[in-house]
Amino acid sequence: MPDAKMSSGLSRRMFMTASVSAAAAMPLVNSPTRAAQPASAKPAEPRDLSAVSMRINKQTYNLALDNRTSLLDALRDHVGLTGTKKGCDHGQCGACTVLIDGKRVLSCLSFAVMNQGREITTVEGLASTDGELHPVQQAFVDHDAFQCGYCTPGQIMSAIGCINEGHAGSEDDIREYMSGNLCRCAAYPNIVAAIVQARDEIRRA
Amino acid sequence: MNQAAPAPRENQGDPVVRIDARLKVTGQAGYPADIVTANVAYGALATSSIARGKVSGLHTKDARAVPGVLDIVTYDDMDKTDTPKFGNTGASSIGPLHDKTVFHDGQIIALVVAETFEAAEEAAMLIRADYEDERPAASFDSKGVKMEPAAGKNPMFKEDAKAGDFDAAWADATVKIDEKYSTPTQHHNPIELFSTTAIWQGDQLTIHEPSQNVTGWKVELARQLKLDPANVRIVSPYIGGAFGSKGPMTARTAIVAVAARRIGRPVRCVVNRMQAFGTQTYRAETRHRIRMGAGKDGRITAFGHEAWEVTSRPDPYVVGGTSATARMYNYGAVLTHVSLVHADRNTPGYMRSPPETPYVYALENAMDEMAVALGMDPVEFRRINEPEKEPIGGKPFSSRSLIKCYDQASEAFGWSKRDPKVGSMRDGDWLVGMGCATAIYPTAAAPCAARVRLTADGEVRVQCGSHEIGTGVRTIAGQMAAERLGIGMDKISVEMGDSALPPAPVSGGSISTASVCSAVMKACDAIRGKLFAAAAGRGAPLAGSGNAKLDLKDEEVVTETGKSAKLADVFKAMQVGAIEEYAEFAPKGSSPEALSKLYAGQSEFHGGENDEDSVKYAFGAEFVEVRINSYTREIRVPRIVGAFAAGRIMNTRTARSQLMGGMIWGIGQALHEATEIDQRHARYVNRDLQDYLVPVNADIKQVDVILVPEIDHQVNPAGVKGLGELGNVGTAAAVASAVYHATGKRIRDLPIRIDDLIG
Repeated sequence: MPDAKMSSGLSRRMFMTASVSAAAAMPLVNSPTRAAQPASAKPAEPRDLSAVSMRINKQTYNLALDNRTSLLDALRDHVGLTGTKKGCDHGQCGACTVLIDGKRVLSCLSFAVMNQGREITTVEGLASTDGELHPVQQAFVDHDAFQCGYCTPGQIMSAIGCINEGHAGSEDDIREYMSGNLCRCAAYPNIVAAIVQARDEIRRA
Repeated sequence: MNQAAPAPRENQGDPVVRIDARLKVTGQAGYPADIVTANVAYGALATSSIARGKVSGLHTKDARAVPGVLDIVTYDDMDKTDTPKFGNTGASSIGPLHDKTVFHDGQIIALVVAETFEAAEEAAMLIRADYEDERPAASFDSKGVKMEPAAGKNPMFKEDAKAGDFDAAWADATVKIDEKYSTPTQHHNPIELFSTTAIWQGDQLTIHEPSQNVTGWKVELARQLKLDPANVRIVSPYIGGAFGSKGPMTARTAIVAVAARRIGRPVRCVVNRMQAFGTQTYRAETRHRIRMGAGKDGRITAFGHEAWEVTSRPDPYVVGGTSATARMYNYGAVLTHVSLVHADRNTPGYMRSPPETPYVYALENAMDEMAVALGMDPVEFRRINEPEKEPIGGKPFSSRSLIKCYDQASEAFGWSKRDPKVGSMRDGDWLVGMGCATAIYPTAAAPCAARVRLTADGEVRVQCGSHEIGTGVRTIAGQMAAERLGIGMDKISVEMGDSALPPAPVSGGSISTASVCSAVMKACDAIRGKLFAAAAGRGAPLAGSGNAKLDLKDEEVVTETGKSAKLADVFKAMQVGAIEEYAEFAPKGSSPEALSKLYAGQSEFHGGENDEDSVKYAFGAEFVEVRINSYTREIRVPRIVGAFAAGRIMNTRTARSQLMGGMIWGIGQALHEATEIDQRHARYVNRDLQDYLVPVNADIKQVDVILVPEIDHQVNPAGVKGLGELGNVGTAAAVASAVYHATGKRIRDLPIRIDDLIG
C-alpha cells in the first residue's frame, strides 16, 4: 500500500498504484482511524488528489481522489462497486441513485470529496449476508419491475428512499416521487406495484 | 400471481421469473462498462462543431499538456485500418478519422486517452479544430438536400408495393381522404451509455461493448482492423437497453481498439449522453401523404401512401414501412412510393419497429379520419376492411387475429360506453377522448446455432450467442430447454452475449425468440433422441418400449403407458456423464448459403411479406383514453388497453412486460419524444435526458395487456411470432384519435404537445 501523502505532491506512479488497488475493490489504506486530509484545509487545485474516507456498505474506504471525481465514478472506478450505474452523469436519469446517510442522492452530482465521513449504501449493500434479498429487491423480482435491468439499482435505491421519506402512501405519490428515475424499458406500472408490496412489507416488519 | 404474471391461456407458457432477476436487483449483472479491468486507461471523444465541410487543422497541444494524457488518436492514426461499411452490421460508411471530410455535426475528430476519466474529459474539451465549413442542409426543407427514390437503393427495400389501378380507383371513390402526416427525429436513449472497452492480449482483441450483434461485429471489426476474426471477441452479456441502437457497430469501436493497441493498455471509452446523439444512430424524421378512397358502404377502394425519409449524405438507410401498410387492409388498388432525402446528418439506424412506427402512425390516423368521414365506428370500419388475402401479392396470412384483438381489447376498455360525438365526454375540467388503432409487425426468423448440454445429474447449460437486451430471451431459451428436457428452471443456466458462443442473428426485427428457441429446440430434440434410443435399447431401463412414445419429465424418461426411468440410470446405461448437442436452425426457404452467412456475421431474414407460401405478421389492437385539461390543455393518458396475438407466447410475464413497455414507448412517441434540430447548423439541440423528453413514472397510469391466444404452425418450428416491437406500433395513432375525439383537433404531426391544442 502506498503511503499516500494526500496533496498535490503525489506522483503519477503513486497515483497509478492507488487507482489500480482501488479498482480491485481494496480499501486504499486499511486503517480506518487514519485521519484523511480534509478537503477544506486549503483551496485545492481540481486535479490534485484529496484524501477522503467514507463508509460504503458498512466498510471503511480511504481513497485518494481527483477533486473532480464524482461519488459515482469513485464507486465504480476506484472502489469496484459497479452496481451503481451511469446513465447521464447530469442528474437527469436517476440510475446512479445511492443512499447517503439514509437519504437518496444522485451520486453523479456529488463530488466524492464532499462525502468525507458519510455512510454510503449502494445496491450491493442491501441483501443480507445470508443472501436474503431486501424487501424492495424481492418485490422488484416478484413484479418484473425491470427488463434490461440497467436503471434497476437506481430505482431500488430510490424506492427505499421514497418509502423511508413517507412518499409511498398512494400509487399517485409513488409515481410522482419516483419520476426522477427513468426506465427506458418502461416498467413503470410494475415498479409502482413492487413499491406498494415492499412498502406494506416494511411497514409490517 | 400478480398483474406482472398473467395466467397462461392456450398456447402460452408459464410466467417464469427472469433467470437473471436476482443478478439484476443486486447489482451483480455485469454490463460491458462494469467489467473490472486492471490498468485500464480512459477514453474521451472530441467531436466536430460543424455539420458540413473539412477539418483543415487540429490543435492538440493544450490537450496533450493535461497531466495524465497518454495519447490522442486522430487523423492518419487509422490509416492502417479499413473504413467502416454501411449495412446490417455497420452503422455508417463514414470513417470519421479516415477522412477529414465532415458529414454531420458531432462527428468524431479525435479520441483522447488518459490515466483518469477526469483527465480524458478535460483534454478532449481542449482540442480545437479549424474548419473549411459549408452551409449544411439539415432536413427536408433545407436547400441542398438530394432526393432519390428509395426502392432498390438498399437490399432491405427492393420495390414500392403496388396493386391494381390506383388512379382509376381514386378517381372513382365517393369518399376521399388526402392528408399529410409527419414524425420527428427520435433518439433511442437507452439508459446505459454507449461504451467500448478494448483489451489486447498479443494479437487477440477482446471488446466489451453493449451489442445486439456480437457475431456480426466480430467479423466487421476484424475486417476493419485486418485481423483474423478468430482473434476478435465481442463480449456483451447484459445490455442496458438497446431498442436498435446497439445493432449496428459504429466507428468508435475500431478507434478505441487502435488506441488500446497504441498505448499497450486496455482502454475504456464511455461516450457521454450528449455525444451519443451524433455518434450513434437514431430514428430519422419522416413525412407521409396518404390518399384513401372508399365507398359509402365503408369499403376501401384505393390506398396511396407516399413517404419521405431523411438519411445521411453517403448512406442509403431506408425503412420503407409501406411494405406493411400496403398489406394491412383489403384496399382494392394500392400505390406506394418511398423517397430518400440525403442531408448533412449522421446515418440513421434501426429504432424499435423502424418502419412500422412512423408509417403505421400515418395509416392509422388516416383510417380514423376516414371512419369519421364515413360516419362509421372506427372499429367497425376496420372490421369491414379485414382482408382474406393480403392485397399486394394475393398471399394468405399464416394467421391473422386482428379482429379477435379488437374484440377483446374493446370489451376490456369499455369502448361501447364511448359517445362518438367529438367533445361530448367530459369529466369536470377534463375533456375525455377515446381512440384506437391497429398494431402490426412482420414475423421473421433467421438462422441460429445453439449448444445444449445435459449432465447425468440433470444440470442443463444452454449456449447461444444471442443478446439479453431486456426482452427475456435468456429466460425463454432456458424455458424451452426445461420443457424439452423435463428439467426444472433451477437447474438451467443460459450463456449469451459472447461471440465465442454458437452464433445467433442480430437481435433485431423481433426475431430472437423465434430463431433462438427453434435452435435450442433442435439441440434438445437431438438429446432426446439419444436418450430415448438408449433408454429403450436392449438391457436398458425401458427396454422394449421401442414403439411407445417417450417423453422427458421431472428428470425421468417416461413412456405413455406410465413406465419411467431415472435420467441418471439412462446415463449410466449409456456410460456417459453428459450429452452435448450443437444444433443449427435455418428457417424454411433459407438460401444454401444461409448458415455459412450466419458464421460470417450476416443474418438472412425470412418471413414477413417475403415468403412464398404466406405473409407472416403479428397483430394487435390498442385503445387509449386521454384527458385534456380544458384550461391548460395538459394531456394525460390515464389508461391504455392493448390486445395482441403473436403465436405461441413463451412466457406471459416477459411478453406482457415487453408489450407494456412498447405501449408506453408509443405514448412517448405520441406526446413526448422529439430531437429538435437547429436548422441553420444541422445540429441536435436537446441532447440530454432533461430536454429529450421520455415518459416518466408520473406520465403513466393504467396499462393493460391482453395476450390473445393464437396458434401458427407456419411461422417457425417454435410457433413463435416476435412481439418486442409490436406494442409501440399504432399507439401514437390511437392517442391522436383520442385527442381528436376529445377536442375536435386532428394533430397530424408528432409529437402532440400542449401548444398544438391551444386556440
